[in-house]
Amino acid sequence: MFLSGISVVCFAASYAVALGCEASRLLFRSGVRSMVMVGFASAGLLAHTLYLGWRAAAESAVPLSSPADLYLLLAWLLAAGYLWLTLANPRTPVGLFLLPIVLVLVGVATFAPDVPSPLLQDSTSRAWGWFHAALHLVWTVAVVLGAVAGAMWLIQAGRLARKRPPTRGFRMPSLERLALVMHRTLAIAAWAAAAAFVSGIILNAIQYRRGAAESVPWTDLVIVRMGIMVLWLIVADGVALALRRRPRGDRVTAWLAVVSLLVLAGWIAWGFAIPSRHGGSAARPVVALVEVAR
Amino acid sequence: MTTAPASTATTLTLVGGSHRTVPLELRERLAFSTEQAAAALGRFRDRFPGCEAVLLSTCNRVELYAAGEPESAALEAASLVSFLADCRGLETARLEPVISRVQDEAVVRHLFGVAAGLDSMVLGEPQILGQVKQAWTLAREAGTVGPLTAGMFQAALRAAKRVTNETGVGRERTSIPSVAVADFAAAVFETFADKRVLLIGAGKMATETLRYLREAGARDVTVLNRTASRAVELAARLAARPAAFTDLADELAAADLVVSTTGAEESVVSLEAFREIASRREGRPLVVLDLAVPRDFDPQIGDLPNVWLYSVDDLAAACDANRKSRQREMPAALAIIEEETLRFMADMHHRTTAPVIEQLKAGWSETGEAELERLFRRLPDLGETEQTEIRQAFERYAAKLLHPPLVSLRSESRSGPPHGLVDALKRLFQLGE
Repeated sequence: MFLSGISVVCFAASYAVALGCEASRLLFRSGVRSMVMVGFASAGLLAHTLYLGWRAAAESAVPLSSPADLYLLLAWLLAAGYLWLTLANPRTPVGLFLLPIVLVLVGVATFAPDVPSPLLQDSTSRAWGWFHAALHLVWTVAVVLGAVAGAMWLIQAGRLARKRPPTRGFRMPSLERLALVMHRTLAIAAWAAAAAFVSGIILNAIQYRRGAAESVPWTDLVIVRMGIMVLWLIVADGVALALRRRPRGDRVTAWLAVVSLLVLAGWIAWGFAIPSRHGGSAARPVVALVEVAR
Repeated sequence: MTTAPASTATTLTLVGGSHRTVPLELRERLAFSTEQAAAALGRFRDRFPGCEAVLLSTCNRVELYAAGEPESAALEAASLVSFLADCRGLETARLEPVISRVQDEAVVRHLFGVAAGLDSMVLGEPQILGQVKQAWTLAREAGTVGPLTAGMFQAALRAAKRVTNETGVGRERTSIPSVAVADFAAAVFETFADKRVLLIGAGKMATETLRYLREAGARDVTVLNRTASRAVELAARLAARPAAFTDLADELAAADLVVSTTGAEESVVSLEAFREIASRREGRPLVVLDLAVPRDFDPQIGDLPNVWLYSVDDLAAACDANRKSRQREMPAALAIIEEETLRFMADMHHRTTAPVIEQLKAGWSETGEAELERLFRRLPDLGETEQTEIRQAFERYAAKLLHPPLVSLRSESRSGPPHGLVDALKRLFQLGE
């Protein structure tokens, strides 16, 4: 079947070419670069979509419920966001910030467990499971976009403080716009993460009533890990909100947004390290990656 | 419109001067208004019948582009200099030392560079392209444009468009007000429509900056001046709101963007005074464009969080960086100009071969027709379809035979008029002059 021939390498390579085009903005001007960049990003997104569709159709359990699928879905959302932002603001090099994260997520997906969740057997559990996963996607996308806006804010503010004109091919949005994005994404991330945490607890409680074997133990480190993430995001949003009308408020918010991405990276790495009944088996061995590439 | 034949060898001449060669005082006397330029072109048409001319006159240059037969008097630079001097009531001897004279390919290269802003006082400035278009339009209306100047000016517009699109020569801003608004204030604020602009004093630089801010959407503008009556007068002129100088602290607390150009000999706003004002601003960002010399704002104010303070020197340094950035694009721009010049010259040289090619085609066609007539008479049973097939086969055969010499002529045209090949063709096929 044609779709089974699409691999992670197909769309990762397309995104990598688009990233190379973005980076070349800093070196030289080109009349055709935008077309090449958007062309490769679109081709990558199409292959990515078909790959996810094929995965969803081929899985026997709940479609796209494994950690690997969730990372690929997250990468897909960010790649789609990149394409939209690039078409809307062709002069802003948003891909220099977003595409490396997309590629890292695709890389993470190849290491992550790819067994669909076996816990969600009935329609109620599945509905809660989908809700829980969707909220996870919302807060992670918000964290990434907030971090990108934060990094751009710091670069733009640094340039303005040095009183230098904009670098060729590296024109950032205004501080006002970036600050708005940072504040909104931090708030969305905090609320969506909290909701994801609560929905996860509700889902687990439903499963627990059916029998302890079908649920995640309440002492599982996944729950602790998510609790810490939620706590960080709520504190970060609270601090940003409290400092909003202070002279250094936006700078602190920018740092909080960037650090949130690092916390997210640590959160993902921790997920690889701890054994859990949540979301399938442990990380795949490297040998399995060869299979994925095929 | 003149109908100077482009098919025969035509020569291009340019006489004129720019800010690089002609002193301002003489440039002012040499400059043509639109009406004067139209009248001058009318005089050119009467004085040099059958020749083409376009007169480009701007603040920084006056250039007369002429085209015609090589033996035409109009193509002699001395005649053209004398013509320009007559038109402006100047002595030819005064113009002689400062006027440039350029011929043929160099004229094309020069015009392409001028249209792309590469010869402008501010490298890459875009207004010159409009002025080149205007000069061409005026010459068309005056009836002094012919096939050569029309082709050359169209090619100049194309070359200028390529330079704009493919290089950064005209991209970065180079004036202090435009850099202040586009590269700094617009990097802090997404929109100026909901921002409060405060003008302290109203020097020329401030009013120019305000013009850019208005273009960017600024609506709420307050003018503050030491003299209340002057503030009212300025506010009326700039469509702004007047304010008393005693309200400076309150106005600064409410403002988002300040443009300051007082003539004060000391700082108007000290660091201590501003600290007190900052505490009332609730952390809102403030952009201060301090365009006064000496400066109106204590430079240490720029170290406070969320205050973006720029002095004239800061902005001038940014302009200089942008100018250097434009300069770095020059090699790419010059490469485009060279490429377009060579393409235009090749086309121009190739056009000189048109009469020979026409004669060659006509001769072959005539011979072919005669042979076909003879053949059809000897084969009267041929139907219309067969005759058409045979005729088409003859035409294809002739076209294929003609193809190699035509390719050779085009190829030879790239390095100059292909006189040798044209003479050879004339002799080989016994073509007339």
